[in-house]
Amino acid sequence: MAKFNFTDDIFFSSISELSASLRKKEFSTVELTHAFCDRLEKLGARYHALALSLRDTALRKAKEVDRDFKLDRVRSPLQGIPYGAKDLLAVNGKPTTWGTKAFAGQVFKEDAQVIDLLDKAGAILIGKLSMVELAGGGGNRYPSASATGACLNPWDRTYWSGGSSSGPGTATAAGLVTFSIGSETSGSILGPSAYCGITGLRPTYGLVSRRGAMALAWTLDKIGPMCRSAEDCALVLSVIAGNDYEDPGSAGKSFHYAPQFARKPDEITIGYAPVDFDESTAPETRAGFQEALKMVKSLGMRMKEVEIPDFPYTALVTTIIAAEGASSFEDFIRSGKADELIEHRQAQGLKANLEIPAVDYLRAMRVRALVQQAFRDLFLDVDFLLAPTKPNIAWKLTDRLDAPATPPKSRGLSGLIPAGNLAGLPALSLPCGFASGLPIAISFVGRPFYENQLIAIGKAFQSHTDWHRKRPPVTE
Amino acid sequence: MLAAAAAVPQTATPQTPPADADLDSARAQMKTSAQQIAKVKLPTATEPAFHFKA
Repeated sequence: MAKFNFTDDIFFSSISELSASLRKKEFSTVELTHAFCDRLEKLGARYHALALSLRDTALRKAKEVDRDFKLDRVRSPLQGIPYGAKDLLAVNGKPTTWGTKAFAGQVFKEDAQVIDLLDKAGAILIGKLSMVELAGGGGNRYPSASATGACLNPWDRTYWSGGSSSGPGTATAAGLVTFSIGSETSGSILGPSAYCGITGLRPTYGLVSRRGAMALAWTLDKIGPMCRSAEDCALVLSVIAGNDYEDPGSAGKSFHYAPQFARKPDEITIGYAPVDFDESTAPETRAGFQEALKMVKSLGMRMKEVEIPDFPYTALVTTIIAAEGASSFEDFIRSGKADELIEHRQAQGLKANLEIPAVDYLRAMRVRALVQQAFRDLFLDVDFLLAPTKPNIAWKLTDRLDAPATPPKSRGLSGLIPAGNLAGLPALSLPCGFASGLPIAISFVGRPFYENQLIAIGKAFQSHTDWHRKRPPVTE
Repeated sequence: MLAAAAAVPQTATPQTPPADADLDSARAQMKTSAQQIAKVKLPTATEPAFHFKA
């Protein structure tokens, strides 16, 4: 076989496109893996997106997959597809640092459940991707709070990728992997997906096992795909979703991608607030968001103006993460190891979190029950909620992340990220334009376990737009 | 060395850790959050949300 010339068209292919090329034997899995590993090692390091290259194990796996292809053994659409995983997921025998040098020597003897499922499906794990140290559980103040440094946004290297799934955001957007696995406690999949211009799916709480993942907040943590399209998210989710008796949060549900059963647009009602696409967003983003709203309206779904129920979402999610995170990392904090974190603010934040009174945590969890009921009521009137994923473009590398935000004049659906996480709802972030050269995105949020319909709406949007196909100016 | 250690008066005032602005700001943030949450009217019978229903 002649040596294949791997161009950007391959590095930015969708899962289905790459899968078709592999099955047609345009190139082998080993060749593809070599090409992606070269690119990830070179550019991943430059963008601070790579925590650990897994070239050797990836090539061994690629040889197995090529043998399967030769025997026409088809395991899944992900067979032979190179991917990366956030470095909070355990990989058997490899360092898992959770983004901090304080855990530099940590090695687990088992794969995380999602890594195991992807391995069985034939996907090729080529690297562990960078993240904010301990997923920002102590409240990081700067993008630089990571063992690998601030992860650079591929659209402009003076901006941050967002966090805490920073590496998955940048690596997927820059074509260093075909898809990646991130995690979200409150915004860590949606945020980097929006800032990097990729499609990110936050599954319903409990749909994907967290076994083998760093625990930050047990009642909030979720694992999900960060991809180039809604369809790719569906293909990955169909492999990683499912019951796991060893994850106490597992919902006992699976996900089967079934686009043929998607409801027609005119049977769907979308709840939105016009203010979210106007004065609640940064001025430079407004034209893009309004254009995106116009596009959604043109898809033929019923649109209904709604407001988010009135709760202090950020205070609730902050308190719950702080209390559960302090418990999860109690030994680490009390031993003084927390002082090894790069950012002093994070270490002190973790220490302060240990002091949260039990009644404050329980009150937050009781109010959370009201939040969940309020969203159940809201979803009696609408099928999905729509809002900008983030009302602004990415942060500059030097920005302070804890600068007080100006509250919007009108509530609209602001606070949908913490609210959706508190209620355990699935969300899909879709690139919808650019502002000042950086991506902006909208999100649809649905009822629990409505991922199929969520993806169908995402596919409809992406069949009429090409924002998800845009490629950043990645240079070697 | 042991004798010298034993000579330290038992009533010595424990050293107060130096003030830390980051620790203070983290505590203040927690307090603000608790105050915001305390404003939500909460029926006595409301149980914490430990289970999620589809």
